Amino acid sequence: MQFFGGSEISPSPPAPTVSGNNAHMVYVFNRNGVCLLYREWNRPLHTLNAQQDHKLMFGLLFSLKSLTAKMDPTSAERGNLGVPQLPGQGCSFHSFRTNTYKLSFMETPSGIKIILVTHPRTGDLRDSLKYIYNLYVDYVMKNPLYTPGSPIRSDLFITTLDQYVRSIA
Amino acid sequence: MTEKKGREVSESCVDSLLTEMVSTYCNRFYANKPELAARRIEAIGYQVGHQLSERYTMERPRFNDHLEAIKFICKDFWSELFKKQIDNLKTNHRGTFVLQDNRFRWLSRISIDPSLENGDSQDPSAMAESKAAQATSMHLYFPCGIIRGALSNLGIPCAVSADISNLPACSFVVRIKA
Amino acid sequence: MPPAGPRSGDAIFASVERVNAELFTLTYGATVRQLLTDLEEVEEVNKQLDQMGYNIGIRLIDEFLAKSNVSRCVDFKETAEVIAKVGFKMFLGIAATVTNWDADGTCCSIILDDNPLVDFVELPDTCQGLYYCNILSGVIRGALEMCLGRDIAPYLKIVTDTQYLAFTKVSMKTEVTWLRDVLRGDDAYELQVKLLKQVPEEYPYKDDE
Repeated sequence: MQFFGGSEISPSPPAPTVSGNNAHMVYVFNRNGVCLLYREWNRPLHTLNAQQDHKLMFGLLFSLKSLTAKMDPTSAERGNLGVPQLPGQGCSFHSFRTNTYKLSFMETPSGIKIILVTHPRTGDLRDSLKYIYNLYVDYVMKNPLYTPGSPIRSDLFITTLDQYVRSIA
Repeated sequence: MTEKKGREVSESCVDSLLTEMVSTYCNRFYANKPELAARRIEAIGYQVGHQLSERYTMERPRFNDHLEAIKFICKDFWSELFKKQIDNLKTNHRGTFVLQDNRFRWLSRISIDPSLENGDSQDPSAMAESKAAQATSMHLYFPCGIIRGALSNLGIPCAVSADISNLPACSFVVRIKA
Repeated sequence: MPPAGPRSGDAIFASVERVNAELFTLTYGATVRQLLTDLEEVEEVNKQLDQMGYNIGIRLIDEFLAKSNVSRCVDFKETAEVIAKVGFKMFLGIAATVTNWDADGTCCSIILDDNPLVDFVELPDTCQGLYYCNILSGVIRGALEMCLGRDIAPYLKIVTDTQYLAFTKVSMKTEVTWLRDVLRGDDAYELQVKLLKQVPEEYPYKDDE
């Protein structure tokens, strides 16, 4: 896990002033861990190749989801180690923040995971993630040429997504 | 069976049925014979157009000439299907009509990546692009069939093709057989 | 921000883009007719309609989830109920009743009183054995398979963390069959949905890669 604690930590970036430049990147994964879409707008630093990067992100979410549920102090029904958690029940994490970025996350019951990485001072993006899911439905799943489960190459979706993200963050 | 006038379904029902019908014929039944797939898809459209125009013309007088029938397709018929009319109608007055829909619904969500950046190896992007163009064109046989079926039900035999050189606009070219 | 509750099928149907049902009904009819011509065997047509429905279900599930605001599928029973009740309404504009649950909650019936697929349809005698609406059973099967729920089987082994993670979610494989069909002389449409097995969602990468 050296990727989190390396020497690259920079001081907190300034608060966003100009709108439209605060989103770093977005990932969309399907239930099988296939990265359907990766898009970056502002990512000066790359430490891994694309494939490793996607895998690490997916693994991070997978682990974090489980750990957050396991540590839930309020859930009465928490089972012992090895007993499955109820997805969607109890708690699920939707964002975390470091001094340099904020990661917002949503997962649908069909296993689509949408991750948006933005400026650390961005507000609650849960509605924005839902909106992106709707864009995915309208422009990806309704594109007659799209094969479910394959990487998204739709111009229409990417343009619309770019525009939308510029408007929120 | 009972008939429910004015009944509606979600647009996604039609969209997903068409996507799947086209993909069944192109990718499953006739993966290596696109011309056969095209013919079957067109035939399905023809049947639908034929039946729809029968229903929509039940209570109206017969058309006096070709132009009148074509105008019916552009206005009433198109409105029933797409809640809008054809935007532009042109003719050479010798049996060819061009019906342009500036934003054809069934193609409004079709999108292909023109660059296809992963086609780096021996598969040149031109090939991928032509494949995508072919896949797109497969989605045009159904509406072409609908128009041909509708006109044929009105006693006008014709050939119909489509031009999508500036998506999402779509032009249907109707050539009436003398 | 508390999550908004699921929306009703009526509310969604009122808000989505809708089209003339005749176009849908006739397109489906023309497709079935073309399949009968091309495939000749009625049994094969049933199979293809089911396959087409399955592929449609896989595509439609995300629209269903996005528009209905259903954010969790806890178990098979709840998932089947919401897909049948909200799903049929929001796509086809018709009501479906879910009934006849068995004791362990793995088998039920979906009953449709009304069905836009069959407006104008009368089956000729040559179509004996055809399940004209078989596309619907495929849609339900596909949609349920794309929903991740919890594993209802007790899972008591001590496992490693990776296995623990892998076993938290399952997808629901079902078998959907027609019990009643108006086109075959019955008084309603009844589909039986039976949970066959739950497939765990797996961690897709090997640890050492």
